[in-house]
Amino acid sequence: MESKVLKPILAVYVGLFILFLYGPFIVLGILSFQQGPEGGPQFPILSWSTYWYQHLFGLTPPSRIAPLPVGEALVRSLTLAFMTMVTATVLGVMAAQAFRKRFRGAGVVFYLIVLGMMVPGVLTGLGTSLLANNVVGIERHWWSTAFLAHVVYTFPFAFLVMLAILNRFDGSVEEASWSLGVSPITTFRKVTFPLIFPGVLSAMLFAFTLSFDEFPRTLFASGRDQTLPLAIYGTFSVEIHPNIFAFGVMTTLFSFALLSVYGILMGLSVRRAKKMAMQEDIA
Amino acid sequence: MAYDLQLTNVYKTYDNGTPAVIDFNLDVEKGEFIAFLGPSGCGKSTTLRMISGFETVTSGDLMIRGKRVNDQLPEKRPTSMIFQNYALFPHMNVRQNVLFGLEVKNMPRAEANRKVDQILDKLGLSGIAEMPTARLSGGQRQRIALARSLVVEPDILLLDEPLGALDANLRKSIQNELKLLQRDLGITFVFVTHAQSEALALSDRIVVMNAGRIEQVSPPRELYTRPSSQFVARFIGSNTILPGTVKAREDGNVILETAFGILGGANRAGIDAHDGREMSIILPAEAVDLVPADVPEDEMRANFGSNTIPCTIERLQIVGHIMHMIVSFVDGRKINVEGHVDKYRDRLKAGGRAFVAWKSANATVIDH
Repeated sequence: MESKVLKPILAVYVGLFILFLYGPFIVLGILSFQQGPEGGPQFPILSWSTYWYQHLFGLTPPSRIAPLPVGEALVRSLTLAFMTMVTATVLGVMAAQAFRKRFRGAGVVFYLIVLGMMVPGVLTGLGTSLLANNVVGIERHWWSTAFLAHVVYTFPFAFLVMLAILNRFDGSVEEASWSLGVSPITTFRKVTFPLIFPGVLSAMLFAFTLSFDEFPRTLFASGRDQTLPLAIYGTFSVEIHPNIFAFGVMTTLFSFALLSVYGILMGLSVRRAKKMAMQEDIA
Repeated sequence: MAYDLQLTNVYKTYDNGTPAVIDFNLDVEKGEFIAFLGPSGCGKSTTLRMISGFETVTSGDLMIRGKRVNDQLPEKRPTSMIFQNYALFPHMNVRQNVLFGLEVKNMPRAEANRKVDQILDKLGLSGIAEMPTARLSGGQRQRIALARSLVVEPDILLLDEPLGALDANLRKSIQNELKLLQRDLGITFVFVTHAQSEALALSDRIVVMNAGRIEQVSPPRELYTRPSSQFVARFIGSNTILPGTVKAREDGNVILETAFGILGGANRAGIDAHDGREMSIILPAEAVDLVPADVPEDEMRANFGSNTIPCTIERLQIVGHIMHMIVSFVDGRKINVEGHVDKYRDRLKAGGRAFVAWKSANATVIDH
């Protein structure tokens, strides 16, 4: 009786959810195959073509539509995301490792770290920019001030992921290693790290993706040279052509590729984790 | 006398003020097999972890081979630990697990491999050397843990409930292997367990612990026959405890006035048993003789003196040539008694009456 009413409602809800989630992307995807260069960013599709993809890579004959100014911005964003990923993950692992032991002021430190993802991005960005310009007196760059803002933002995510992983980590393998005469540093490198690697991978993915499309903090903190989200935003103020959609599809495919790599690496780790679980069942 | 391991006035107090180990004193000779036995939370594992260096010593001296190691890091100590969950490295195969301790010490590859082969062979693991540890049985994994610890040649091997996760049959066989291995290698083993059968079967001396303190340190047999405290008497073996007050002394025995009459036991600890002192007779199950009701009283007196308590036979079961009985006293207390079938055949039956009797020399008196 209950399911007769509830089921259709839930089905509709899920349908709407998926529509809103993927709808915009599907529309963009379709429009990216608009005829060029005269076709605009709206329906109907005059005829299907890959013109805008060719335009993106400069393979079309020159026309009145300027190429998308994203080349350098893309490199900048990838570099920044990579730098942020490495720094935030290293800090996250180290901080989470520290939290395995109770220490004085642990609660305060925990909230200070987590604050980085709670504070509104616009405030962090503005604050960073004011600090750089007026207090310290340095120029803002995507690789300095914006990088700092990104690390402050992504570090808590990496930290929380690692905290969850280490929370379930059985410390006796580390003790076993120490008792074999292996130093704590080597133990971390050869025992702990390989075992927490799935968590590290997740932390890296979080930090990379969050940094890659970060907008509000970067807007204020990055100075003259723009990152990709800023550059794309910049093109909107002029005139929109379907080349931006083609670019959107390309970056999405890139994200999927990233996720696939993550998925494969994770799958390998999970297989190993399953073996470990089996091992505990036997024990 | 040089000891392998010495703990002198060792205390462990946790940061929140909870005392875990109180005034622990123990000298262990090289090659001894020592068991720490006690209920969970008695401080036995904490003591082991202090020896290994995983826990700090709050006060007192911890010496290994005459050297104070209180402040030495775990990896610098000549000890190696075996864990209840084995703590094998799940990302390494059997050989890599065993090789690990040698590898990081930069031992030449050939020598390291030779040592690993040797120990794998000794523990019967050669056939599975290249297998991942995940699919192996508990017994095999326990042996891998042993091989991994022994290959680095520790002076002292620490074992934290190493058989706890194994099933009963396997436990017995690994127990035997462990004992043989220890004799063979001649290194000191310190073994933590809450199972008295393990401690009694394996060790040269047993340290019985309760609530952070040592209750008694004795060879297994003595612990069994001469418990020195109420706790040990209750914890080890199956003893009947009969409280009373001292009435007299004769030939090293103490005579108590108890609820069951005038009863005696040997004063092994040499306690000053003055009249009126509150003491208990500890009567081990093996010391108990069951006397059928048809035995004439003079004969019983001649054998056991006044050490007789009337009882009712509740249950009676014959397994092979052993007769297992449960008898009850007038106060409702039940005890287990065993005896050879021939001795009791046709003279005892369930629901019948008999006497629990013993010779004073086979029971022990301790302070109440």
